[in-house]
Amino acid sequence: MMLSALGVIGAILMAGAAPQSKTRTAPPPPPFQGVYQPQGVDEIGLWKVDDENESKLSNSRAVIHDEALTAYVKNVLCSAVGNDRCNSVRVYIVREPSFNATMSPNGTMRVFSGLLLRVRSEAELAAVLGHEFGHFERRHTLERFKAQRRGTDLLSWAAVLSSFNNNPYARRSFDDLELSVYGSLLRFNRDNEREADLVGLGYLNVSALRPQAAARVWQNLMAETEASAVAKGMKRPRFDRVAYFASHPPEGERAAYLGALALPEAADRPDGADRYRQAMGPWTPVFLKDQIGLNDFGGSEYLINSLASDGWTSTLWFHRGELFRARGGQRDLVHAADFYSQAIALDPLYADAYRGLGLAMIKTARPTEGRAALARYLELKPEADDRAMIELTTASLN
Amino acid sequence: MNMQIVRFSLAAALLTAAPILEMASANDFRERGKAAKLSASAVSITPPRDWNKLDIRPGKFAETWTLDGEQLNDVTFYTGVEPGAPLVKERNKKRKPLPKFGAETLLVEVPELLEGTYRAYKEIGEFRLTGSKPGSYLGVKGVEFTYDYTDGDQIRRQGEAHAAIIGGKLYMATYDAPKIHFFQRNIADYRALISTAKIM
Repeated sequence: MMLSALGVIGAILMAGAAPQSKTRTAPPPPPFQGVYQPQGVDEIGLWKVDDENESKLSNSRAVIHDEALTAYVKNVLCSAVGNDRCNSVRVYIVREPSFNATMSPNGTMRVFSGLLLRVRSEAELAAVLGHEFGHFERRHTLERFKAQRRGTDLLSWAAVLSSFNNNPYARRSFDDLELSVYGSLLRFNRDNEREADLVGLGYLNVSALRPQAAARVWQNLMAETEASAVAKGMKRPRFDRVAYFASHPPEGERAAYLGALALPEAADRPDGADRYRQAMGPWTPVFLKDQIGLNDFGGSEYLINSLASDGWTSTLWFHRGELFRARGGQRDLVHAADFYSQAIALDPLYADAYRGLGLAMIKTARPTEGRAALARYLELKPEADDRAMIELTTASLN
Repeated sequence: MNMQIVRFSLAAALLTAAPILEMASANDFRERGKAAKLSASAVSITPPRDWNKLDIRPGKFAETWTLDGEQLNDVTFYTGVEPGAPLVKERNKKRKPLPKFGAETLLVEVPELLEGTYRAYKEIGEFRLTGSKPGSYLGVKGVEFTYDYTDGDQIRRQGEAHAAIIGGKLYMATYDAPKIHFFQRNIADYRALISTAKIM
């Protein structure tokens, strides 16, 4: 049993080591073997628990029930892993502003809205979804469950044996073993992640999308993390260190090996950025508002600027104004007024931009212009929820 | 032998200290008709019915009262929030800062401040301000607003709040309860409670 466990760990370590080689690209996926079904008592049990979780999830208010958006994300997954494989997956878009996606044993894929705000193209989204599908295809949840059981079994027996021996050396040996087992389990998780990266990139290499996008996702995330840390006055984060408790490999390592695994001749393929932008269109303002609500100034400013690399829109200017007004320093308010004006220049009927502009001006000693902007807001949005409060605000300026 | 004595006396000390510790960490009863001060401030409240005051306070300026438990009906008073301070205690000042009340904050922006605090503290996306209008709190003109959100426990909650800015400080009361049944059941109790709030 232990030997086979070591074998599994060894095999995964080798798979994990492979991505670091710069001479090898990710291999294509093996032929589709048919519909996935749980095998053995452990996996059947995991699926049963997961079926219950999924039925709760499908009725949860956290899920965005937008048929078109869900179908689009599912299509992107299918374009990466192929229609046969993707038929075993149900996609749920979860409204949560963090960068994440998960895949559970029975084929439930949760895609967080924060991920949709961060990726820029179908290829980048497909890279993350393909990685998650890799966990599913290689049955990683089951593998982790078994590894944890093996590790804790070993520790339980070691605890019994060391208790027979009432001397400090036995206790110390047990402590060492405990650290070593936990460390190897965490390392096992990181190796699973590396393997899922390898499998995910294998799908992308044979798809019609650009596999180089996978490395881009991590480069963008590192830039965002750094922007967020700088704005908070913290030290620049390190992306090359593996902490003892880390669940994933460091971002720097992932960006490097994902870049190396991508098929070089596929760099000219389309990345579907235009289609992606169009599909996210109605949701971008919602996701931006959720992001700004996290009160992460540097990260939000980075994301807005990065979305604007394809050109500034009234929505982007407006949310930048909201971000600066929320921080609320005098300099921020002057900037915010400018950003709202830019939004209005692009869309003269943008009611909420007039509201923000009016409030920012009132707070920067420009009450006359502020009152005019607020009046325009109420004119454009006569049924506004806060109409009476806005009227009170303008009345108090007299 | 000596060790045993030390252990025994330590155990005895803990046993005798236990009732005192328990009393210190107990939630308080707020009896009907008896005036109570909020967070050692100049605000006093005379509850028209019995309430419980939770011992764990969300922050320096805040305290929570409830009838059946904070997840079912939660009235939180924010009393005298100073400019530059967040509404509730930040989990991590540096990494996860919360929005701050500012000297420049307008009354019309107070709902946005509460929204920002809930969104950042709870890390949720599902929060909606559903309306705001002029109101009064502590006998001063202020803002009255409503909102709803889905918390981490996936329960949809509804809220109503009253706020006023007095002497450059923010005073606010919020009532949060599950939209199903509980919000309607105790909204009148909340309104009756805050109508007795006075600033000395």
